[in-house]
Amino acid sequence: MTADHSPAAPAAGPILRLDDLGVVFTTQSGEVPAASGVSLSVDPGETLALVGESGSGKSTVALAAMGLLAGNARATGSATVAGTEVVGAGEAALAGLRGRTVSMVFQEPATALDPLTRVGKQIAEVIRNHREISAKDAAAQAVELLGRVGIPEPDKRASAYPFQLSGGQRQRVVIAMAIANKPALLIADEPTTALDVTVQAEILDLLRRLAAETGTGVLLVTHNMGVVADFADRVAVMYRGEIVETGPVEDVLLRPSHEYTRRLLAAVPRLSVAGEGVPETARVATPATHSAPASAPAEPVVELDDVSVVFGRGRGAVRALDGVSLTVRHGETLGLVGESGSGKSTASRVALGLIRPTRGTVSLFGTDLARTRSRARRALRSGIGVVLQDPVASLDARMTVGECVAEPLRVHRRALSTRERQERVAAVLDRVRLPRDVARRAPRELSGGQRQRVSLARALVLEPRLLVADEPTSALDVSVQEAVLEVISELQAELGFACLFVSHDLAVVQHFAQRVAVMRAGRVEEQGDTGTTLLRPETAYTRRLLAAVPVPDPVVQRSRRAERLTTLAAGRTEATA
Amino acid sequence: MSTPTYLIRRVLQAVAVILIVTIVVFALLHALPGGPARGILGPQATAQQIAAFDHEQGLDKPLPVQYLYYLGQLAHGDLGTSYTLNEPVSQLITERLPKTLLLTVLSAIVGLLLAVPLGMWQAVRRNKPVDYIITTLSFIAYSTPVYFLGLILVLVFSQALPWFPSQAPQGHTLGQVLSDPQGLVLPIAAGAASMVAVFSRYMRAATLENLSEDYVRTARAGGSRSRAILWRHVFRNSLTPVVAMLGYYVPVLFGGALVVEQLFNYPGMGLLFWTAAQSSDYPVLLGCVLIISVATVTGTLIADIVQRIIDPRVKAGRS
Repeated sequence: MTADHSPAAPAAGPILRLDDLGVVFTTQSGEVPAASGVSLSVDPGETLALVGESGSGKSTVALAAMGLLAGNARATGSATVAGTEVVGAGEAALAGLRGRTVSMVFQEPATALDPLTRVGKQIAEVIRNHREISAKDAAAQAVELLGRVGIPEPDKRASAYPFQLSGGQRQRVVIAMAIANKPALLIADEPTTALDVTVQAEILDLLRRLAAETGTGVLLVTHNMGVVADFADRVAVMYRGEIVETGPVEDVLLRPSHEYTRRLLAAVPRLSVAGEGVPETARVATPATHSAPASAPAEPVVELDDVSVVFGRGRGAVRALDGVSLTVRHGETLGLVGESGSGKSTASRVALGLIRPTRGTVSLFGTDLARTRSRARRALRSGIGVVLQDPVASLDARMTVGECVAEPLRVHRRALSTRERQERVAAVLDRVRLPRDVARRAPRELSGGQRQRVSLARALVLEPRLLVADEPTSALDVSVQEAVLEVISELQAELGFACLFVSHDLAVVQHFAQRVAVMRAGRVEEQGDTGTTLLRPETAYTRRLLAAVPVPDPVVQRSRRAERLTTLAAGRTEATA
Repeated sequence: MSTPTYLIRRVLQAVAVILIVTIVVFALLHALPGGPARGILGPQATAQQIAAFDHEQGLDKPLPVQYLYYLGQLAHGDLGTSYTLNEPVSQLITERLPKTLLLTVLSAIVGLLLAVPLGMWQAVRRNKPVDYIITTLSFIAYSTPVYFLGLILVLVFSQALPWFPSQAPQGHTLGQVLSDPQGLVLPIAAGAASMVAVFSRYMRAATLENLSEDYVRTARAGGSRSRAILWRHVFRNSLTPVVAMLGYYVPVLFGGALVVEQLFNYPGMGLLFWTAAQSSDYPVLLGCVLIISVATVTGTLIADIVQRIIDPRVKAGRS
């Protein structure tokens, strides 16, 4: 445990080398291979991105390289970190390696830190795991590290508990822990997936700077091709536990050689940016919307007029919405975008009549919600379908798929016979392109994309006039996301419902919605046609938001990043001047 | 919420709960067959005697007035007089409460000191022989009636192996009781057994849950050893739900004391309650109910405050 040899000393050859690495999980149903024949290497100072969809085995490979696999996993082959073999190594040898030679940054900053221990102490623990220094010196170094990762007032923040920090700050603390002993290799497993896009850009900048300063090699695990384009030197693509393609980032993202990589990249929604040739607008992606006459505006289906929502009272009151006015018309999709806490989900719940506005009016199908009685309100609600983010949590695990889809019919169409109900369920399952026999199965037997289509079927079984979709594809892989969005827009063209589409993903909204409202801190920052607002935004906030979105093209992204940093620097000097 | 505000609010809540308890106790007192008069004058009393007594005691006044009068008495520490022992109930309770508190608090401490490490050990050795053995013993200890368990303890550790006396110390003061620690061993063991069983289960579950938390993986990724992670992080995080349960366990402890004291002839509240129940000594019974309610409310209050101290999120109103 002494610092007699510096781990960051430039070792000859790669800092991480995986050679024919395989991982098998032992489960009740037998042995499940999660990765096999994985070979790759990371050189000092280099960033290798390991990309793939969920279940491809990319996180398993990252954990195997740390020796952090779950108890029921068995690794074969070889994984060496700075020349030390990890596969089969004992707990003591691994503990000596972890946090000193190789460190890890995790996906979920909300849960990655001990909630009851002050952050400074958690950083100091990593320092003292590997260096013989006093508690006081370690605490001082922890403060210094917090400063390096960009936490303001680090000496005060060191004594904060994790819950007192924002998500981005917590991720900075996790990074501070990871770099505390100047590791030669940093493994980052979806380090920005849980963060807002502007925070993501800051965290990526930070990781890039720290890696460059210390010559640390980085293994970046991600599903986000924009992040790959922004950060990686080389890319390895994983599919079903195997690496199908490895190469420099320009080659893999711009000239993919493997069929799977091509499919994957084709499914990634790309943010169109101004001055990039002909902008691809929503109308191209959803040609079906042409059927509605473009000239005369259709009748409004839901209308929020100057709505404010205040939670709590007194000094602790939170103004979640502040003078929000939105309209969604028949047959159109309004995209509601904004960062976490901007009030977009609250606005969608107000539209559903689930939250009563503190001020302002909500009209649903031309009726003021505040003036309706409970029975009439229920009838109004039967005209709304809802799809939520988490396809696992939003379906009752104890019901069959058929029962889930039939439930709205049981509530709102009580006159239907059992057979009529079954017929409607079968018909709507057809519509969302699910085989009819899934009706008898349990939700857990389906894949994420299938489950989300079940949610959609349930939302559409009453043939609603309004579909509220709150981050409906955020939990899905891109290829699945594409299919689900396609089903929604086809059905919209056929059935003509209005759609309130809440999303944090600007690229998805650009492709899917005709109009967009950008929210920030409970207010609508700006709204308008998607083509105009997201290509030539009027407010600085929307511009900043758009600039932070990494696009999956390393060449374009490099110039976008440079531009963003210049704008930020200019803004900073302006602010200080 | 700042700590003083919180304390004031919680104490006021506790007082409100105790006031409700006094209403219930007062109602029970008046629901007695023939009312308090019949209880005191005995089954032979005539209707005139009862009416005279009621008038004398103010029992013919409207109920709200009587309740206020009863509250006034309570405020002066007057809980009435025992029918059978002819002593003020308050005096009987003052004599015996400390002894019961001694027994229950010691049982709780011993129980927790065993349960917490046992539960953690089980969690670390999950699905290994040790885990199965302790789990089996816990279920046996929990499902065995305290009375039966106490008898077995006496048979084994007092009769077969003459290690401990079968009777608890008989002293009148705490000092006298404490001067015979040998005699306390079996009563405490009987009282602590179910506590160990229940709380080792809680601790096992809480530890298992925390061991699978992301922060444990973060600590391992930072090079911390399993043992250090267990004591530095998992222990404290697992303790919070257990402390919360402790408050709700106070009435169970008193219930256990009822049986243990009777079994080992220990002159505490439990024995008092037991004999009072057998002789229909209602003032004593209701006095005991009141005291146990106050103890329960105080127990939960203390548990809440302790939780606030060990978990900063509670103070900030999050969890």
